[in-house]
Amino acid sequence: MESKQISEDVAGIDQKRVFWRLMSFMRPYKKKLTLAFFLLLMATALELLAPLVVKVFIDDYLTPGNFEEKTMLLLGGGYLLLVAAAAAVNYTQFVLFQSIALNIIQDLRVQMYEAVHRLGLKFFDRTPVGSLVSKITNDTEAIKDLYVSVLSTFVQNIVYLLGIFAVMFYLNAKLALYCMILVPVILWIMWMYRKYSSRSFFEMRERLSLLNARLNESLQGMAIIQAYNQQKRMKREFKEINESHAKAQMKNITYNGLLLRPAVDVIYMAALVTILSYFGFASFQTSVEIGVVYAFINYLDRFFEPVNMMMMRLSMFQQAVISAGRVFQVMDEREMAPGKMGEGEPRIEGGRIEFCNVTFSYDGKQDVLHNISFTAEPGTTVALVGHTGSGKSSIISLLMRFYTPDNGTITIDGEDLQAYDNRELRSKIGLVLQDSFLFAGNIHENISMNRKSGEEVHHAAEFVQASKFIEKLPESYQTAVGERGSGLSSGQRQLISFARTMAFQPKILILDEATANIDTETEEEIQEALKKMRHGRTTIAIAHRLSTIQDADQILVLHKGKIAERGTHQELLRQNGLYHKMYLLQQGTGVEAI
Amino acid sequence: MNIFKDLMWFFKSEKKSYIGGIFILALVSLGQLIPPKVVGQLVDHMREDTLTERMLISYGSLLLGIAAVIYVLRFLWRIFIFGAAVRLSLLLRKKLYDHFTKQSSEFYQKRRVGDLMAHSTNDLQAIQQTAGDGVLTLVDSLMVGGFTLIAMATTISWKLTLISLIPMPFMAYATSRYGTMLHKRFHAAQEAFSSLNDKVQESISGSRVIKAFGQEEHDSAAFKELSADAVRKNMAVAKVDSLFDPTISLIVGFSFFLAVSFGAFFVVQGEMSLGDLVSFTAYLGLLIWPMLAFGWLFNIVERGRASYDRVMKLLGTEEVIRDNGVKTAISAGDIMFRLEEFRYQKDRIPALKDITFNLKEGQTLGITGKTGSGKTTLCRLLMREYDTGEGSIFLGELDIASFTNESVKKLISYVPQDHFLFSASIRENIAFSKYDAPFLDVKEAAERAAVHEDIAAFKEGYETVVGERGVMLSGGQKQRISIARALLHGGDVLILDDSLSAVDAKTEEKILNSLKTIRSGKTTVITAHRLSSIAHADWIIVLDEGRAVQQGTHEQLKSDEGWYKDTLQRQALESLIAQGG
Repeated sequence: MESKQISEDVAGIDQKRVFWRLMSFMRPYKKKLTLAFFLLLMATALELLAPLVVKVFIDDYLTPGNFEEKTMLLLGGGYLLLVAAAAAVNYTQFVLFQSIALNIIQDLRVQMYEAVHRLGLKFFDRTPVGSLVSKITNDTEAIKDLYVSVLSTFVQNIVYLLGIFAVMFYLNAKLALYCMILVPVILWIMWMYRKYSSRSFFEMRERLSLLNARLNESLQGMAIIQAYNQQKRMKREFKEINESHAKAQMKNITYNGLLLRPAVDVIYMAALVTILSYFGFASFQTSVEIGVVYAFINYLDRFFEPVNMMMMRLSMFQQAVISAGRVFQVMDEREMAPGKMGEGEPRIEGGRIEFCNVTFSYDGKQDVLHNISFTAEPGTTVALVGHTGSGKSSIISLLMRFYTPDNGTITIDGEDLQAYDNRELRSKIGLVLQDSFLFAGNIHENISMNRKSGEEVHHAAEFVQASKFIEKLPESYQTAVGERGSGLSSGQRQLISFARTMAFQPKILILDEATANIDTETEEEIQEALKKMRHGRTTIAIAHRLSTIQDADQILVLHKGKIAERGTHQELLRQNGLYHKMYLLQQGTGVEAI
Repeated sequence: MNIFKDLMWFFKSEKKSYIGGIFILALVSLGQLIPPKVVGQLVDHMREDTLTERMLISYGSLLLGIAAVIYVLRFLWRIFIFGAAVRLSLLLRKKLYDHFTKQSSEFYQKRRVGDLMAHSTNDLQAIQQTAGDGVLTLVDSLMVGGFTLIAMATTISWKLTLISLIPMPFMAYATSRYGTMLHKRFHAAQEAFSSLNDKVQESISGSRVIKAFGQEEHDSAAFKELSADAVRKNMAVAKVDSLFDPTISLIVGFSFFLAVSFGAFFVVQGEMSLGDLVSFTAYLGLLIWPMLAFGWLFNIVERGRASYDRVMKLLGTEEVIRDNGVKTAISAGDIMFRLEEFRYQKDRIPALKDITFNLKEGQTLGITGKTGSGKTTLCRLLMREYDTGEGSIFLGELDIASFTNESVKKLISYVPQDHFLFSASIRENIAFSKYDAPFLDVKEAAERAAVHEDIAAFKEGYETVVGERGVMLSGGQKQRISIARALLHGGDVLILDDSLSAVDAKTEEKILNSLKTIRSGKTTVITAHRLSSIAHADWIIVLDEGRAVQQGTHEQLKSDEGWYKDTLQRQALESLIAQGG
């Protein structure tokens, strides 16, 4: 049951291009970056100067035995000052680098989020929520590591290394030249590490995610496993995955042991021996400045810490690039939400809706709507009825411009739907959803949607008669609602969403009636509110209960994406067709859904 | 540090690895002390012009030799200690998994999968870190610190050692203070991140509503604010985090200052040589790590302790289904169901009350009723997922509880209401209980469940991977694959718990027909909302709020006034409408 997709991700992404694109996010921070870079240089210089002071002390004063008090104080004070200044500047540049990195991630996240909002529902239809959420949060978090620790570590350490080389050249050019041999050796180890160790690192990560997926699945499907007596087999299979994960971990430990710290230490020792032999052989000819030996050894010590740091960040770097690849994929998505096209700024005044030969398909294969034509005159109500999957909701989705029809036109007040800008469309078309979706927040926020004033909110709540129960709540309009523990009945939630719609004073109303039975307590109020809301507005209503739409000006009976029957309630009953049967059905069973 | 005591059982079982690893660590720490000493001596020789070529070569090769040996030793202890830690998490993970497979439905009802996952991943990781990095840090810092101090004090100068150590306690103090600050701020940053996560989750799920109300901009602004908050919290972390390095270099710098100035004084006094001073500063460099490590160690151990407690607590809960039966059930025979009352653990209202029926071998039982009326509970009792409470179920002559659970499950093929498929190929999902079933059998089961044509339409046919990482199947396809799985299992009793709800009328008829042929002589229990699924049953029970409100055959029930008749009429019309009149 194991799917083999190890490292597929690594190969699928053009790493170089992704990397440079990531770098381009640094552009707005040029000035800050320059400052941070300057501070970094300064801190490095300060840090590197300190051993030089000791060198001067040893060679010029300690060896000849010259301890003039003033100079000593100067040297000692100078040394301490250097150390303190280096610490202070270092702190500043650390913080600065982090702040730049965090801001870049903020930019990236917001850009991505806005890009996602521009995408059409077609994109959301085919993208699992979980994976999209994870891209917006977890993947950007992984990229954060790139800016926060990887880049600053690399920049800092490379600067540091360059500084060390500079001082070494200053002290003894020839010996420094010898030490340059270290560079290709270290690069070679890095290359080896990248080749072997990071590969085993990714293998380990893959195995871990496989292991977790299996565990998660087993926990969810435990009832089935137990029902079919498969505990033994599942345990055996889990054991295999568990062991293969442990094996990958061991392999990673092995490579890290062979290539990371222990290897770098060997190089360190080799370099140390080189330096000592150099000075040793030199001492046969002339006397050696011990201070220089001290300084060289001290710099050598400092040389390897940065190398180790960079090695440890390599796998993080790759993880970040892979995450960035996924993020950019979403940002480059071209399944845009339908938007305004053409010139002019038409306004919706009357609310006359016309569908003309509209055909639509979600997947391009199967038409869910076929040649739909109807007109809703201003102020009238058109009701859509039909069983599940007949196309009622699709008509509404098209009218809301969530999708564009494949054929035919939709016009409002004679203008093509596409001519209106989003703002006009959203504020003039009021949607009342069947599952009254409330956002996390309080009642006021849910009604005002951050656009309407307190007065408008109260007015709207009063209009739909929600104010009565809202004002009885201990915190009135400030009562928190949302997913959990709202303590509101479904009917009350519905009234709140009615108020939200009415606060915008729409010209057109779209009602998606609830399929579920609403508690009888609020049922009457809801019907009354609906009637009031519909008054003077063009209304398109999806009805499940025929009793609520008997007074509709026009009823469209949909079947398999086509309009099967149309007319008023009385006309349709006389036709003795589908509508008549539905009516009989509901007569027999009261107010149950179709 | 109690955690090390708690883990002693493991350390003992991995005696060789740990003793070997610690011994090698000790050797490495000792070996590391040699180079500074050698360097010091070389420097002294250079200064005094007593250095000979031979001496230089032998010192050089000594250093290289030590380097090589240390390389090997360092590699080895990693394998020993980290390897043992890997085995610890392997072992604990296996234990947890075994434990999970034994727990009853009640166990899973009380806990969220996410929490169980967290225990099996994050907590095990923390424990592994304690057994690996924790042990390493403890041993290594004690040894490196100890040996270095001893070497400094005995071979060079104890006075200078004491003097240069003066600033070190400040470092320990500072790092532990930063540690606590960091912990708090890090926690806040984590929370900011998780509320960001919640926000995204809500908005993506509600994308339709956001678009309908034109809230894209406002939603983006709210996201921006939350994200900015996460930045602020992370900045607070960065401000503390950035303190570590400068503080350490400041204190180390001060320590070096003391070492060099007092050392110089001692050199002038003739108490030590210049070479000694160079060695001394090198030793001082070696002390930085143990100091740092100790602060870090507390962190690891604290996390390990908490995680280990949680995992042990989980392993301590026993909510297994009683399995006291000793007999092996060979055939189900007639089923006799006598139940006075059954309620889920804490519920006040019984889920089932006064249910009695007999089902002869080979008969079909239909159960219907509204959602929540107790249909699934009845199936679960037959499956022995729960003990019956007041009442008993007889398979043949004997109480279901007198058989082993395993043998009972072998007799029953179960299709649950929430059809669950594993991330595996369709073939593997159908052959779930008969893993090595020949392909023809699998295909036959799929044909019987009327899903073969759907499967054949996939590019990879029966090898198509489904589940979370595979292709998306429709609810009806999932249901039919679940049915095929049960058919291949071929138990004496087939239980279909509302498993035909998502298939259309034609397919339903097909499945029911094939059931009739292959299940003749075998017992079948079907629960359904749609009465057409159970009309052919030998006996039908209508449940309402846990009670059997109507019982009889289809012929009897369809003429009796009551829920069954009403529903039958309504559904007949509904199907007429669905077909377009």
